[in-house]
Amino acid sequence: MPLITLKDVSKLYGFGDATTVALDEVELEIEQGEFVAVMGPSGSGKSTLMNIIGLLDRPTHGNYTLGNRSVARLRTNQRARLRRDKIGFVFQSYNLLPRLNVLENVALPLAYKGVSVTRRLKRAGLALEQIGLGDREYFMPRQLSGGQIQRVAIARALINNPTLIIADEPTGTLDSAASLLVMELLGEVHKSGNTILMVTHNPELTRYANRVVYMHDGSIVHDERTPIGQVPRLARRSMQLFPRKTEEDDLAGVSALMKAIPHKESLPKKSRKIKTPKRRSEATRRKAKK
Amino acid sequence: MALAALRSSKWRSFLTMLGIIIGVVSVVTIVSLGEGVKKQVVGQISRLGSDLITIRPGQLVTRDASGTITKINLSRSLGISSGSLPANDLSIIERTPNVKTVVPISLISGGARTEDRQYNNGYIIGTNDKMPEVLKQKVNFGAFFSSGELGRHVAVIGQTVAEQLFHENVPIGMTFSIHGQDFIVRGVMDKFESSPVALGPDFNKAIFIPYNIGKEITGGNTQLIEILVRPTHPNQSAQTIAAINRRLMAAHGQQNDFTVLRQDENLAVTNDILNLLTGFITGIAALSLMVGGIGIMNIMLVSVTERTREIGIRKAVGATNRQILGQFLVEALVLSVVGGIIGTLLALLTNVLLRIFTNLQPVITWPVVLLACMVVLIVGIIFGITPAAKAARKDPIEALRYE
Repeated sequence: MPLITLKDVSKLYGFGDATTVALDEVELEIEQGEFVAVMGPSGSGKSTLMNIIGLLDRPTHGNYTLGNRSVARLRTNQRARLRRDKIGFVFQSYNLLPRLNVLENVALPLAYKGVSVTRRLKRAGLALEQIGLGDREYFMPRQLSGGQIQRVAIARALINNPTLIIADEPTGTLDSAASLLVMELLGEVHKSGNTILMVTHNPELTRYANRVVYMHDGSIVHDERTPIGQVPRLARRSMQLFPRKTEEDDLAGVSALMKAIPHKESLPKKSRKIKTPKRRSEATRRKAKK
Repeated sequence: MALAALRSSKWRSFLTMLGIIIGVVSVVTIVSLGEGVKKQVVGQISRLGSDLITIRPGQLVTRDASGTITKINLSRSLGISSGSLPANDLSIIERTPNVKTVVPISLISGGARTEDRQYNNGYIIGTNDKMPEVLKQKVNFGAFFSSGELGRHVAVIGQTVAEQLFHENVPIGMTFSIHGQDFIVRGVMDKFESSPVALGPDFNKAIFIPYNIGKEITGGNTQLIEILVRPTHPNQSAQTIAAINRRLMAAHGQQNDFTVLRQDENLAVTNDILNLLTGFITGIAALSLMVGGIGIMNIMLVSVTERTREIGIRKAVGATNRQILGQFLVEALVLSVVGGIIGTLLALLTNVLLRIFTNLQPVITWPVVLLACMVVLIVGIIFGITPAAKAARKDPIEALRYE
């Protein structure tokens, strides 16, 4: 049984004529222990997908099963508790609370679980040692390098032994050396059995993943499995076209990639329904009521 | 955890607390000052004995048919010397049955001077030889003028006058002049603990001269602010009061422009006046507590906006809305309660300083301190809940995107 099942998940923003479709009936299954990289140009719905899977956001319609529980319609507090116990987040930047030291930052999710101060700091200390930052316990976040901050953030994401780790461009602001360290760490986390979902613009980094999902205009347009250590076919093609140097090149690479892949409509996708205006306005009304 | 944010901006936290601190200090200090004055006055009045009858100008109280006070005319009672009794009231009262002693207290305008010094900020009071007896006040040095000296230019002075006019403790036998007439100092009064006339002049600053001499030197232009009466039989004072009332009414042409009060009634009137005054000023001071609360709310609202990103991260790692609400509410409460504690300590300090450097005797009333702390707590909750709710309601995605 898959860990994550998304069925017909859509997310709409705005009302009436100004409605934009961030996710368009996405179907996705992720097995326990997979390392999934999500690629796609800006505005393709990657972040929205992450937010919905990470229980930060609700789908406008469709169904989402996490573990064996339907979670699409959970209430705010139940979702907060699930985030605390099942999901770890690593964001692109400003990941840590600037006023707390490294140790307190790592221990933060435990605080919301009601673990006592001494116990949670002890566990946070152990977690920091595991990622090789045991000597930085009492540093403030501003005293760390970007790569160190991301590794601390990964330690924080792991502290509750979550079933799923969501990383939204974890290397987006890092240089290649720091990126490598962070990705190696994520790779190890994956090897120890965690499920990881990562958004990236950098085709090179997909070699740590065993599955790459390509998004465009709110839909998943391609889904490819590769052995770990190999850059998948589509990503490789964009790398050859544009040898990677900087972040901007990454973006250009992704655009090239999107041009290279077969167009959405021509993809063999079973029973893709054309949305009728009636159904969309119905969904909009439901959203407005909330 | 909630304290981390406050610790990291100490200066801002302190300024926020300042409103609460000032509020608590002023409320506690004013109430304890009021209590102190009340205690002094009450102590003095009860020391004078319950059989003392006072007659004062103006209609201070309204009585029903049976003679119990139904209403206190505060606006009149507040004036220290609201008018004067006619001079012949004295002889009318003296002729009333069951009256043992009658003591006039009259204010004489003008100041006293010696050859090289002037004394203008005291009071000159015309009275008679019975005053120390009726007020149960001792003479510290020398003696009060006797009944045989009532026609002579003699004076007995309060402690403060001795120090300020003569610069010595026992200026007996020295002379000074009032309205160009020379007076000889016969004695110095023991320290008056407080004014025997409710809310009246400070008798430590008073120069006492014989009543008739006072009329003489001013050409009869004195202000009879109070007449003190002791009955022969204390258990018949009710009848005596009724009799005095009746006779004065007749003499005043049925005008109710005077008040005869028993000592316990005097106490009630004084208490009422003091309570009103203290209550009024305390109300104003309490307003500053409210303002302090608004200051806390203001800073908390700013803080919530500034820390939007933090709220987003906290929510992402699993904080429920209630936990976020709790965190910001605790921050507001810490601000107000710490402010309350600092305020209370400062109020205690103010009290000690007031006792040392002024002649006020403030009395800290613990119920008031407790009440102030409770109010501070409530203010913290009321003004902390809005920003905290705002923080809790934030959408995690928008909060995370906030720069």
